[in-house]
Amino acid sequence: MRTNVNLMVILGVFFWLAAAAYTLWVVIDHSWDWTKIEWVGTVAMALSGILAFFLAFYLSRVHKAQGGELPQDVLTADIDDDDPEIGHFSPWSWWPFVLGAALALVFLGLAVGPWISFIGGPLALIAIVGWNYEYYRNNFAR
Amino acid sequence: MTTTSAVSAPSTPVINRPNPVSVGTIVWLGSEVMFFAGLFAVFFTLHSTSPELFASQSAKLNIVFSGINTAILVLSSVTAQMGVRAAEAMQPRRTGGVFNLARWGTVEWFFLSFFLGATFVVGQIYEYGVLVSEHVGLSSDSFGSVFYFATGFHGLHVTGGLIAFLLVIGRIFAVKNFTHKEATSAIVVSYYWHFVDVVWIALFLAVYILPLAQ
Repeated sequence: MRTNVNLMVILGVFFWLAAAAYTLWVVIDHSWDWTKIEWVGTVAMALSGILAFFLAFYLSRVHKAQGGELPQDVLTADIDDDDPEIGHFSPWSWWPFVLGAALALVFLGLAVGPWISFIGGPLALIAIVGWNYEYYRNNFAR
Repeated sequence: MTTTSAVSAPSTPVINRPNPVSVGTIVWLGSEVMFFAGLFAVFFTLHSTSPELFASQSAKLNIVFSGINTAILVLSSVTAQMGVRAAEAMQPRRTGGVFNLARWGTVEWFFLSFFLGATFVVGQIYEYGVLVSEHVGLSSDSFGSVFYFATGFHGLHVTGGLIAFLLVIGRIFAVKNFTHKEATSAIVVSYYWHFVDVVWIALFLAVYILPLAQ
């Protein structure tokens, strides 16, 4: 992560030097007429520098907050040290199907007759509640 | 963990990674931004093609009423954030009296946010009713179309957020032990709520305040 930060700082410095050199070159080319600055290039390169510094700042904050080096930055790390905590994912569930079918009814109703939407709406609510509490009920209750 | 580690301590320190639920929510909110960007594009396009119509119809809007309604929605974002602070402190329910705000938990703050958000929606419906009585309808003219289209989709989003508040409160009621999973639900719902709040502020500035400046 430290390398990433340094790369972005170098890129930012490069863009600012390029912006200065470009501005100066244009002025020299117009025999030192400072009113002839070509603003598009100057502004684009200066802002590119700011963008790179933003990324460097952000990455340095992330680096500070994560409480250690990432496994890919540690020479003694193993592959599975990088396995993240990916949270809970349902192995299978009927609820997404129920929700999809209910929403299909809602939109079918919009197309052919609103009364179908009034049937689909409550079904969609039931599906959302069922999906939300699937792992809060029965043998998953805690 | 399905594998058994041969060593007692991991070779690298534990890294605080971004929560995948939070990241996913933010990515989805990014797509929501583009949805509302489309509605704003419709509004400004129609505004530029018929400025006189928009000026005369905007004059029918009640700025004081909608301003108070806006304040209520902004306030609900504050109370939602208080609920998040309680969730981060692992305090799902109040530990003091009903009116002891300092000891409120996520449930109490989210109920208050729900109440404020519902008040906003009711105010919005009342405003629609008044405007319809003044002949601003969904199909009356281009102003009416984009007004109800943009603020209506925002209102539907607020209503969805209200349901989400109830689902989070229900999850907290459902468990004996409040864990990071419930706290994460509360936090991502607050992300959504703040997003909907910010969209309303932009809509309020474009639809209500901009005509005053012209």
